[in-house]
Amino acid sequence: MDRNQLMKWIKTPTKMAHKYSLNAVYFCTGCGIIEVPPTITTRWDAERFGVVATATPRHANLFLITGYVSVKTLRAIIRTYEQMPEPKYTVGFGSCTINGGMYWDSYNTINQLDKYIPVDGYIAGCMPRPEAIFIAVTHLWTLIDKDMADGYKRYRKNYGAYRANQEMVLGELEWPPLFPTEIHTNTGEGETDATAATPTMTEREKDDELA
Amino acid sequence: MTSSLSTRLDATFKGVELGSGDDDRLAVSIPREAVVPVLTFLKEEGYDYLQLISCVDWIDRGEFELVYLLSFYTEDEVGGDGGKQDVLLKTTVPREQASAPTAIGVFAIAEPHEREIHELYGIHFEGHPRLTPLLLDRDYEIPPFRKDFDTKQYVADVFDRVPPVEEEG
Repeated sequence: MDRNQLMKWIKTPTKMAHKYSLNAVYFCTGCGIIEVPPTITTRWDAERFGVVATATPRHANLFLITGYVSVKTLRAIIRTYEQMPEPKYTVGFGSCTINGGMYWDSYNTINQLDKYIPVDGYIAGCMPRPEAIFIAVTHLWTLIDKDMADGYKRYRKNYGAYRANQEMVLGELEWPPLFPTEIHTNTGEGETDATAATPTMTEREKDDELA
Repeated sequence: MTSSLSTRLDATFKGVELGSGDDDRLAVSIPREAVVPVLTFLKEEGYDYLQLISCVDWIDRGEFELVYLLSFYTEDEVGGDGGKQDVLLKTTVPREQASAPTAIGVFAIAEPHEREIHELYGIHFEGHPRLTPLLLDRDYEIPPFRKDFDTKQYVADVFDRVPPVEEEG
């Protein structure tokens, strides 16, 4: 064990445990998944970094969205993401998750993934090499250390806005809302409800206006 | 043998046009009504494998072109010379109220191909048992593979319209 990290282990054991046991849900979207089998097997051996592929989202805390996301896949992604226990981290893999990539004008691929589920980080490239996954993992460690990998908290907080966006593309969803949706809404007309529900929001918004 | 096949096709069916193929493929254009009889004829000739049905949208001509690519598994039975050509069977369908007879009665494998063409081009196949969605999850006013489907406009209207979720830094 790295002796320099001993104090971290004593002070924040949960964070350290989360960092070094990233269980990636083995969910294949698009072409990027072709990089994942060599990454998790002997050639690059992601287990050196504590990354293991799991078969079910209920055992996973890392979600790699590997490649373009079609509308049909988005439905599965949301269901998978909502089944994962917290804390959970999402990494968009490849340029398609950032802005659509080469499928930016397709009739059937959503372009920006972070409109529908929160994303903690992106790996740019088409395709990124397996080494890029490890760079992303080490970045994710830093983010977890600094409490910046908070996508699951943002999802809980802005669930109304995320759910509204999901319904804009997928139509009516056949599963019930995961969280109460009225806490924060993305559109302007929901402002009054939001302020009534959480007074702290108004203070923050005032700060934003002053700034 | 191939030349005799084309002559026999010409003699048996009306309106058969022999197009310019290449060494490997014989291109044949037929009217829409003759699709099923010609497919049956070719199947009896030994073309037992419908590789694919493709569709081309010739929007300037105002018609779709359906392309049936016929091939065979056994070389001995077809022609016997081992150098048999595949057959590209082409037919045209008007873009307005596009419909074509189904080929399922001759080749059962035509079912998913025709379903896909129905979904992506909006061609109705008469006699097809289930023209339900195969690949797409959404409804489109214009089937998305038609040339007058404006993908960029569609992306702007549907996906770019979705607002980003406000995030506090």
